[in-house]
Amino acid sequence: MKGMKRAPALVAAGAITGFTGILIAHAGAGVPLAAGSHPLAAGPNGSAGPATSATPTAGSGSGSGKSNPARRHKSSGPAPGGGAHSVVGSTVNFGYGTIAVRVTVAGGRIASVSVARLSTLEPTSQQISSQAIPVLRSEVLAAQSVSINAVSGATYTSEGYARSVQAALDALHA
Amino acid sequence: MPGQAATHAEHVMGTVVSFAVVPGGLAATETRAAVETACAGLHRADTVFSTWDAGSPVSRLRRGEATLGTMPPEVAEVLDLCELARTASHGWFDPWAMPGGIDPTGLVKGWAVERAADVLRRAGVAAALVNGGGDLTAFGSPGPGQPWLAGIRHPWRADALACIVEVRSAVATSATYERGGHLIDPFAGRPAVGVASATVTGPSLAMADALATALAVGGDDALAAIGGIEGYEGYLIRADGSEADSGDIRFVK
Repeated sequence: MKGMKRAPALVAAGAITGFTGILIAHAGAGVPLAAGSHPLAAGPNGSAGPATSATPTAGSGSGSGKSNPARRHKSSGPAPGGGAHSVVGSTVNFGYGTIAVRVTVAGGRIASVSVARLSTLEPTSQQISSQAIPVLRSEVLAAQSVSINAVSGATYTSEGYARSVQAALDALHA
Repeated sequence: MPGQAATHAEHVMGTVVSFAVVPGGLAATETRAAVETACAGLHRADTVFSTWDAGSPVSRLRRGEATLGTMPPEVAEVLDLCELARTASHGWFDPWAMPGGIDPTGLVKGWAVERAADVLRRAGVAAALVNGGGDLTAFGSPGPGQPWLAGIRHPWRADALACIVEVRSAVATSATYERGGHLIDPFAGRPAVGVASATVTGPSLAMADALATALAVGGDDALAAIGGIEGYEGYLIRADGSEADSGDIRFVK
């Protein structure tokens, strides 16, 4: 496998950015990924709508151009365990715009992640985002079947930690 | 893992070091004491190696106000590791080529976090993962038959992962997305450009940390060098979002 080229792929894990978001109780166990309108369709400063908008989706992320089927999610069923709740994180600047992510936790694990709000700065970043978002959605449920223990990434500051997935994991497992 | 590992987050070295500890047979008080000892070591490393604190031993060494002989013994140890990493990375990691004098920062955090994990291991905890601001090392198993799993942060999104890898020992990632263009190309003598994210896995976090810095600066050239080092592998996300790896990284996703 030396020198193997891997297709671009973005997996999502839930960032509960600083836990400053709104807590919304859901009756069901696990909230499927938000389908509905693509966040980009709303254009800059577009919103995916209220935090409760969620529609079951199958085979999301098709056409993402990924060549490695092993990195596609295998399950789209509801999260194990009951008592699911959703958190919409605060809006975070990701370098090419801003994003707010909705994370649903069920049974102590990240059950789903969807984009609650997205705005991008330039056409290039819209391109990046439009590639990224569908893949993000398709890979989100992978985070459900594979519970990660930590996140490796460029060194964050103490302030940056608050916005990191690692902070979400620490809080989740504390 | 939920419900099994005790977690702790320590603010030190300008970042946050996260602990996930599976005590095994160790009593809760002993486990807590081990984490405290590990954290004390991190704070000591900060005191000795800080390049932000003008009065730290390493700052004085950088300015030529003190010699290596007058430094705490761990400074020589770290510089020996730096020399090793410089050779192994074909010069892409080079603390001696940094502006402002010798700068072992690219290896120190990994070294300090590795020592923190060693403290826990020697104390007898069954398993632990220590994540120093994104550079992590683990031993043992978080649960029966389970490997430690780490997400590699997506370079453009703080809330997404590029992939998930099995943590056999150390995983370090270097990039400029969190702290700006601080990575210096030792050959050009100026901030490096062109790599979105660079990850290195291997047995030692000190070495992986340094090699990740090398990979972030040297890109594909450094990837070839790292792939040639026994036990170490590299994973690169280029500026255009394309990926490459040197093989043998255990990608889960």
